Amino acid sequence: MTDTNDSSARTGSSRRRFLALGGTTAATALAGCGSLFGGDNASGSDGGSGSDGGDGATGQQGTNVEIPSLSAFRGSGTLVEGRPAPGGTSIQDLPDLSGSLNLYIGGGEGGIYFQFVEMLQEIYPDFEVFASSAASSSLAQTVVEEVNAGSPQADVFWSIDASSLGFVADNDAYEPFPDDVVSPVPEGFRGSDNAWVGVAGRARSVPYNTNQLSESDIPDKVADFPDTDALRGTMGWAPTYGAFKSFVTAMRLLRGREAARQWLVSMREAGTEQYPNEFVVSNQVADGALNAGFANHYYALRVQNQRPNAPIDLAFTEGDAGALVNVAGALRIQGTQKADLVNNFVRHLLSAEAQEFFTTVSFAYPMISGVEPAGGLPTVDQLNPPDIDLSELSDLEPTLQLMREANVLG
Amino acid sequence: MKVRERVAAVRTRATDDEDSAVGRGLTLLSAAVAAALVAPLGWLIVDVFGLGSRALSLTVAPQTLQVLVRSVALVGAVTAGSVVVGVPLAVLTVQGGLPFRRFWTVVAALPLAIPSYLGAFAAVSAFGPRGALADTLAPLGIDQVPTIYGFTGAAIVLTLYTYPYVFLTTRASLLSLDASLVEAARTLNASRWEAFRRVTLPQILPGITAGALLVALYTLSDFGTPNIMRVEVFTQFIYARYNAFMREYAALLSLELFAVTAVVLALESRTGADDSGAYGSSGNRGAFDLDLGLWRFPATLLPALVGAVAILLPIAIFGMWFLRSGPGYASGSMAFSWSYGLNSVYVALLAAGGAVLVAVPIGLRSATSESRLASLADRAPYVGYAAPGIVLAIALVSFSLDVLPALYKTIPLLVFAYVVRFMPQAIGSIRTSRLQVDQGLVEAARVLGRSRMGTFRSVTLPLVVPGIATGAALVFLTTMKELPATLLLRPLRFDTLVTYIWRVQEAGLYGAAAVPALVLVVVSGLSMAVILAQEGRGD
Repeated sequence: MTDTNDSSARTGSSRRRFLALGGTTAATALAGCGSLFGGDNASGSDGGSGSDGGDGATGQQGTNVEIPSLSAFRGSGTLVEGRPAPGGTSIQDLPDLSGSLNLYIGGGEGGIYFQFVEMLQEIYPDFEVFASSAASSSLAQTVVEEVNAGSPQADVFWSIDASSLGFVADNDAYEPFPDDVVSPVPEGFRGSDNAWVGVAGRARSVPYNTNQLSESDIPDKVADFPDTDALRGTMGWAPTYGAFKSFVTAMRLLRGREAARQWLVSMREAGTEQYPNEFVVSNQVADGALNAGFANHYYALRVQNQRPNAPIDLAFTEGDAGALVNVAGALRIQGTQKADLVNNFVRHLLSAEAQEFFTTVSFAYPMISGVEPAGGLPTVDQLNPPDIDLSELSDLEPTLQLMREANVLG
Repeated sequence: MKVRERVAAVRTRATDDEDSAVGRGLTLLSAAVAAALVAPLGWLIVDVFGLGSRALSLTVAPQTLQVLVRSVALVGAVTAGSVVVGVPLAVLTVQGGLPFRRFWTVVAALPLAIPSYLGAFAAVSAFGPRGALADTLAPLGIDQVPTIYGFTGAAIVLTLYTYPYVFLTTRASLLSLDASLVEAARTLNASRWEAFRRVTLPQILPGITAGALLVALYTLSDFGTPNIMRVEVFTQFIYARYNAFMREYAALLSLELFAVTAVVLALESRTGADDSGAYGSSGNRGAFDLDLGLWRFPATLLPALVGAVAILLPIAIFGMWFLRSGPGYASGSMAFSWSYGLNSVYVALLAAGGAVLVAVPIGLRSATSESRLASLADRAPYVGYAAPGIVLAIALVSFSLDVLPALYKTIPLLVFAYVVRFMPQAIGSIRTSRLQVDQGLVEAARVLGRSRMGTFRSVTLPLVVPGIATGAALVFLTTMKELPATLLLRPLRFDTLVTYIWRVQEAGLYGAAAVPALVLVVVSGLSMAVILAQEGRGD
């Protein structure tokens, strides 16, 4: 809730309305009536959803729908101030959402993404989402199993990484999206056959302590890290974290198994410290306990946003696994009865407001060209990610094997 | 029929069981229930077939065996540690004449209310490199604290949060111990130690082994703690493979884990087989006091130390998270709702009720029958207890989708999972309390003309009620703390305290985990009160 309180916001009447709605949600949640969404107040309107004619309508807003101003979709903090207005399709120009949707959403970052879903429910009184959260890979297997058993439970799968989307796609448990739904997103961040579409990017990066190092100390190639004296014995990583395994998988696909194994061994022998997750790694870098680390980019931004004076910045390698850009993305589950609603929902996830939200609240990379990344980061085009099919990241078995051989516990 | 013959006939039957026909029915019932509980796990075998010929080579791969040995070593260390900590604490709080005995009893039992993974988080936060302890010591010029990570750290943390199983079961045995036997031994010039070794110990041994078995199986199935402490054990091995889309491999490893469980159970039935001591005489004629004299004051240091490390430390760490967490980016779905607490309590109550319904016939029957089927029925459910939550959840997802799709992701299936997983705790405590029912009383009631059912109702049942209540409270408690099965099997839109804690911690919002963690500890603490109140009846 604090994110709607920033002083830089341009307050308008719709914003006030949104705040009021937000307050209602919080009060309902605290009173313990509903569960996640305080959605009890909307439950009476289910029957009316058909008469609104929401599904499939073209840009017509119902009378009871008011879209909050942009500032309501923005996070708060130093990284967010002074941003330009986002380009792209506004929610204003999308058909209303109405009806109920069952959503599987990956754990972790998915918790932050889900806040946007809650905002959608505030905006559209006739729209309700029932969500279930677990690890993305676990949900992916559940989706496949449910589809195989002929009883899919959810309509949409919103995974926080592409390997899980690739797994569902490989097992034919999806229904392709129409071209116009996925077209705002660059091709590299979509599944083949439009099986899935990225909604938020997650770049591998090297957070470093600006008191100890300057950007030029960080090599352009991740392969050079073990031999860089400034980094020896003072880096941190989180090998149990899924994003790290995807990174190793990418390295294996790009440079071969033996090279990936050897790199892990060299880094380990150089004294790289293991941490439980990459947020901790980033915090340790900010504290000066580490000179640098391996982490998804948004953890460092989160640290910066909480501690504006923390001496932490990000470096990116070029054209190798260290510059991998993975995505959180959405997939329409085969057998859903609500194809139109799902498509419309995903359009909302790719709207200017949603992308601004993901960019300024979870500090993800935006997936549409009209929205700038937060914190002065290079855009995805300026980054130099490796040429890799993200779906292939689901081939994890050889990766775990080589990590084990390198004695880097996965 | 002459009176003597009648008495003899009754005696034979009563010693065997209240009634052989009822007993046989009960045996079949418990065997059927046990089978129904374990059957879903059989679905894993179906998965394993998918591996084909790879299965064998994966089973005996050096890496698998290496992890296996490490897991078994951890189980051994934690079980031994729990006995070393739990038994003296039980003896001290029952017989030691400690000042504020009630208080120290609660303190010693309370770590059970704290999920071990939260304890591990706290330990890592406090003692890890750059943790709270290191920060505190840094100004004093101490810049190195010994690392908490690794096998030893995991063993210590697990011991701290599982020894209460041994503590509670040992206490229960001590409380129903016939003090007059100890007094008799002392009168016959046995030293205090000798009386303890020769009279007390044999009587409380079944209690100790019951607790140790729970500790061993908990350790074998725990995932969170070894994961946080960076020790690769079997559960983590399984979990990593499951999350890497290697389901069949995970299923294979799960079956191996069950094999280990079977070995543990076999070992336990060896050591625990001699229940004769517990049959003896037990009327609970007042707790015997060890009379420690002034030593009772330093003796309080033991519960005080354990309490400080296992209870105060995590609470302090949660508090620190709570205060330290800046706004950063904020809440929405991450906002805490009291309904999570209500959901937790709701499913935990259902699980406790279900577990008791199932455990009563099994526990009573296995305590009084020598038959193989009955002891198998008693043992089989322990397989569920040793099944890591994630494995059980995987099996139940497959099973329900294939067999009972209507139940998939419903509360009944979730509760079923809890019952499968935690019922053995209820069986254990019911069985132990049944073992301590004086057969003489049962025989007397029968000789005096009570019917079989009447005897059961008026003699046996009242004496085992504390065991049933303790079992129910244990199931309630562990259900409150259970994470992986809850995550996979809960209905859409159903969050509990632990799933909420999991979500916010995954998102790196440690501060948000503080309140639900404290709520969890308080609610679980209340269920500890039930357990202790049941014992209080014997005081």
